[in-house]
Amino acid sequence: MLRYFISCFLLFCFLISSAQTDSLDISARDSTSFGDRYGLRIGVDLSRPIRALLDSDYSGLEFVADYRITKKIYLAAEFGNEEKTSFEALENVDDLNRVEIYNYTTSGSYIKLGIDYNTYENWYGMTNAIVFGARYAGSTFSQTLNNYTIYDSNRYWNPTNFAPGSDAPQEFTGLNATWLEFVLGIKVELFANLYLGASVRLAYLFTNTEADTFPNLWIPGFNKVNDNSKFGVGYNYSLSYFIPLYRKKAKKKKNETPAEE
Amino acid sequence: MRKIKILLVVIFVFISLTGCEKDDICVDGDTPLMIIRFYDNENPSELKAVPNLRIVGLGQSSTVDTFADRSSSDSVALPLRINEVNTGFIFISDSADEDDLETGNIDTLRFEYGTQEIFISRACGYIANYDNLSEFLNSDSENWIQNIEIVSPLIKQQDSAHVKIFH
Repeated sequence: MLRYFISCFLLFCFLISSAQTDSLDISARDSTSFGDRYGLRIGVDLSRPIRALLDSDYSGLEFVADYRITKKIYLAAEFGNEEKTSFEALENVDDLNRVEIYNYTTSGSYIKLGIDYNTYENWYGMTNAIVFGARYAGSTFSQTLNNYTIYDSNRYWNPTNFAPGSDAPQEFTGLNATWLEFVLGIKVELFANLYLGASVRLAYLFTNTEADTFPNLWIPGFNKVNDNSKFGVGYNYSLSYFIPLYRKKAKKKKNETPAEE
Repeated sequence: MRKIKILLVVIFVFISLTGCEKDDICVDGDTPLMIIRFYDNENPSELKAVPNLRIVGLGQSSTVDTFADRSSSDSVALPLRINEVNTGFIFISDSADEDDLETGNIDTLRFEYGTQEIFISRACGYIANYDNLSEFLNSDSENWIQNIEIVSPLIKQQDSAHVKIFH
């Protein structure tokens, strides 16, 4: 296990040092070509397909994109589609003998729009990032109640289990939700223009349109909805490609030379 | 390949951690029982206990488990069948055995109702409430139950009587 951590550490050392090779470029060029690179970065979330492989009750895909507008500020967006089947079981029961009290499938799409603020002071030519960000997000989805039982602590008429509810799946469509999301993330340039990113997200549910008889227990992009709180958590691991569009010099500040950029 | 393994391990650990959640215990509600209180037929405002009361669900071989069998009580709570539109009970007053034969006065009472399924919370899921409660007493030569009054046709709470039985 320790070897994994060491090799992981060495991997990142290697990546950071390889990102510095830009600054060794000594070929003659027009001075106007110096400056930070601006452009569009598009990519895909790695965690959702991997989770779909490991968990047969889940499938999902998320695309990520950001566009640099100033030295530190990026317009950022994520959009994706997720489907998840969840169940609620009585406690203290192992997986084999678990007693499901209901089972439902949520399916839908979401989009998140906002900004990222890069707090990382790069050396010249590097574009790694430690970002704080905010998103306004929305999702439209449907929930299907696959099966359910009627919770009843009295065992006189049903000695062994709860009375079953209707067998026919009930689909609730036209559901939607919006939320605000706070993002903390990093992005590291693995190879030229190829970035690996990770982020964690804390979301606050803003609006939530629910069916009359079954609440929204899970929302695509937001994840689990808690009974007593409007907060949700999420994460992603993105692999993205930077399409450089132009270079721009950062504005000179007082008492600061361009070399310090 | 090793790098992919590392990535997989990291992601797996994260998923395992985020998969944890507090034990969900249902404390938010339960399917209510039907509350019956017994009143004096001569003095309808006075409660009157039924001596040695025994209640058996129609179709069941055991007595109702919500109160002590053959105890004297002026109040009982009875479970209704959730998946049916009616539930019958045998009410036995002065219940006793003599040579394995019941010597008490047996009255058969049937309740009809509608069932509402209501989602309570994540931990509980659905419970049932009952509405449009009505009762049917099989009359025999000597009913000990004189009169029945449905106080609340909606069974949602358990804190007050739904049915009054006068005897």
